[in-house]
Amino acid sequence: MINLTIDGKIIEVPEGSTVLKAARQAEIHIPTLCDHQELTPYGGCRLCLVEVEGFRTLQPSCTLPVSNGMIVKTGTPKVQEARKFVLSLIFSERNHFCPYCQVSGGDCELQNAGYEQGMDHWPMQPTFQKYELDASHKYFILENNRCILCKRCVRACDELVGNFTLAVEDRGADSLIVADLGVPLGESSCVSCGMCVQVCPTGALIDRQSAYKGRDTQVEHHPTLCVGCSVGCGVDVITRDNHVVRIDSDWADPVSNGVICQVGRFKPLEDGRERILTPLVRKDGSLKAATWDEALKTITKAVEPQVGNDKGIAAVVSTRLPAEALYQFKSLFSDGLRSGMVTTTEDGFPTRGVSALARELKRPFEGKLDDLRASDCVLVVGADLHLKHQVAGFFIKRNRPNGTRLIVIDPQENGLEAFADLVIKPDQTGTTEIINSLIAALDGKDASVELISAAEMLKHAKKPVILAGKNVTAEVEVVRALSALREKLGDSAVQLSIKGKANSFSAAQYGLEQDFAPGGHAVVYAALGDERPSERLLKRLVGKKFLAVQASYASPLTAMADVVLPVTEWVEQPGHFVNTDGRLQEAKKVIHQPDEVRDNIEVLKDLAERLGVKTDCQWQAALTQSNTPVALS
Amino acid sequence: MTKPKIASDWMAGCAGCHMSLLDIDERIVTIAQVADLRSTPITDLKQPDESGVDVGILEGGINNTANEEVAHTMRKRCKLLVALGDCAVFGGVPAMRNFFTIEESLRRAYIETESTDESGQIPNDPELAVPTRVRAVSEVVPVDINVPGCPPDADTIFYVLAELANGRIPELKDDKLSWY
Repeated sequence: MINLTIDGKIIEVPEGSTVLKAARQAEIHIPTLCDHQELTPYGGCRLCLVEVEGFRTLQPSCTLPVSNGMIVKTGTPKVQEARKFVLSLIFSERNHFCPYCQVSGGDCELQNAGYEQGMDHWPMQPTFQKYELDASHKYFILENNRCILCKRCVRACDELVGNFTLAVEDRGADSLIVADLGVPLGESSCVSCGMCVQVCPTGALIDRQSAYKGRDTQVEHHPTLCVGCSVGCGVDVITRDNHVVRIDSDWADPVSNGVICQVGRFKPLEDGRERILTPLVRKDGSLKAATWDEALKTITKAVEPQVGNDKGIAAVVSTRLPAEALYQFKSLFSDGLRSGMVTTTEDGFPTRGVSALARELKRPFEGKLDDLRASDCVLVVGADLHLKHQVAGFFIKRNRPNGTRLIVIDPQENGLEAFADLVIKPDQTGTTEIINSLIAALDGKDASVELISAAEMLKHAKKPVILAGKNVTAEVEVVRALSALREKLGDSAVQLSIKGKANSFSAAQYGLEQDFAPGGHAVVYAALGDERPSERLLKRLVGKKFLAVQASYASPLTAMADVVLPVTEWVEQPGHFVNTDGRLQEAKKVIHQPDEVRDNIEVLKDLAERLGVKTDCQWQAALTQSNTPVALS
Repeated sequence: MTKPKIASDWMAGCAGCHMSLLDIDERIVTIAQVADLRSTPITDLKQPDESGVDVGILEGGINNTANEEVAHTMRKRCKLLVALGDCAVFGGVPAMRNFFTIEESLRRAYIETESTDESGQIPNDPELAVPTRVRAVSEVVPVDINVPGCPPDADTIFYVLAELANGRIPELKDDKLSWY
């Protein structure tokens, strides 16, 4: 530990800590701009200058390591003068006229810093040099005229996301934030995660969806769960007057550590689908508005004659729904109505092989996302983490500058290839064979150059992680082969699978994993929630005798339905989700649904009651009725 | 003790700061009781007394030779000069034209504007003031007190006037300091 004195206070901090961190620990306020708690110190803005005894000049506290006996002063006239001078320089450099900026009035860290230093005018007027504005991106605008070159966006893109899209071009006052080698952002390698927008201290990165829709003092923050995929990142849903204004990442979230992707941040706000606001029943060939009672009666009338008939009712449920709803669905259709065709919109495809091996081994065999974050060599098999489950991809990509190696095995095109040290294409041979050959290569047996090279990388890794995607985990053979590979690599090796949607894991544990084949079934019930029906699902449901759809939005599927029940979407319903590494997480109800819209779970309960089916609430216990591939936490 | 004399004028602004001044509502009577309100753009007397005033208030930036004259006159005739609002303090919205040349601005305003027909013409009467780069008041004459805000809050303006009327220098900080 190191002892130092800041403003007369004696403070003990660990070695390697910075003066700024030490001051914060002692609750001594030092103003900052380029500093961000999640990014490495940069020392760019100089607002955090402090006086240190024995130092000739003022020192930036954010990059200055503490040393024993150091005496620091944060409020001397010299320091205060320097702060004002630093701000004067920043204000004079570009266009910092506040009235037209979306962050003015509390949300701008530069403006707040100016107020804090009591700046009632600028000692130096701006130069009025014009900088480029880049409005080519779908979700945000880069307004270089408001940029203070703190490089938070660049650091977020590098350190949190690992996409390395943003950089600084040129020098001094001509410095510009650019994408790739100076291409428009909209045409760059940007993956639209929006982390840069979230960390920007000024109005230089403008979020098209939320700009001018409410300052921080006018909105409410709701920490909840993203249901975009199985990674299960925490998000901060920002609302105003029962409307979602923006979605930010949640820095306190243990799964994502505050990183989210396009699916979590921007997609939910550009839905654009037509909301279904009242129950609909088909009359004389067209869907007409009806009461809930009428709609549910129409369903019970169609369902009742089919009870107990194995081929009577086919039921399909979205894995974007909470575990409570999935369990209720299964209890109603599988246990209560004894239907032989109860499954999910994913057909259990992403989890089947993993579940099968768990039952076979009778114990968990997968590791945690924490392992992925800490891995120094990742083997990705059949998962395009550049396209889907992006945050898991960020965990790998951002570690590459620290030496983490990446090997990709995928018969299909994979966005991770651009980031990989080694890409292996299974070609004619299957994935299982490739994995088996890799195991053989680890044993020193003859193999292709690529496999030998992959074997070397994995062998020398301290924490090798094997991550399998849903393209391969349907087959138990592949999962078994990967498991053998993990065992071959020793105790430090970890195996993971990415599974699929937000609650694919729960659905798998409830046994909802069969292929949806509504062949001769008289009645089909689809609990879609807010999921977009896939082409595959639509094809299988064309021309059904009776189709009931429980959905939030109008779709080709609701258009085919005989009864449509309007239900809540993700931010309107509370419930639990199990993410890809077995973490049981709670999603909150953030906004109220429209009047006639009912909660997914409530609708299923009502239906069960009307059909005389007794269901219970054992959704949590049921998660562990069969062996799980990874220990639940 | 004689009541301190206050005069105001506006230049390249939108009159919003004077509107915000009127937003102090009935408190204007209080001000009138403790100060002698002289020339303003919204009262009959338009020029500050030649004999001088105690406080001169200027709204707006300086964007032509006429504005320069207004600023110089006010500075000459007042003891304390107050820059009222973002335009007077920083240049504000009008200063956005500084990112273009004056020729570009004039062409845009008088010829290229969507509402202008083919006969658009840039005014060139020799009696007209000559447009300049837009400047904060402090770039032309020394300013004693800056009251930023777009516009400054009525409460802030009342505070500033009340302090000045009572012979004190107002201090703009915390909730009274805002630029937008």
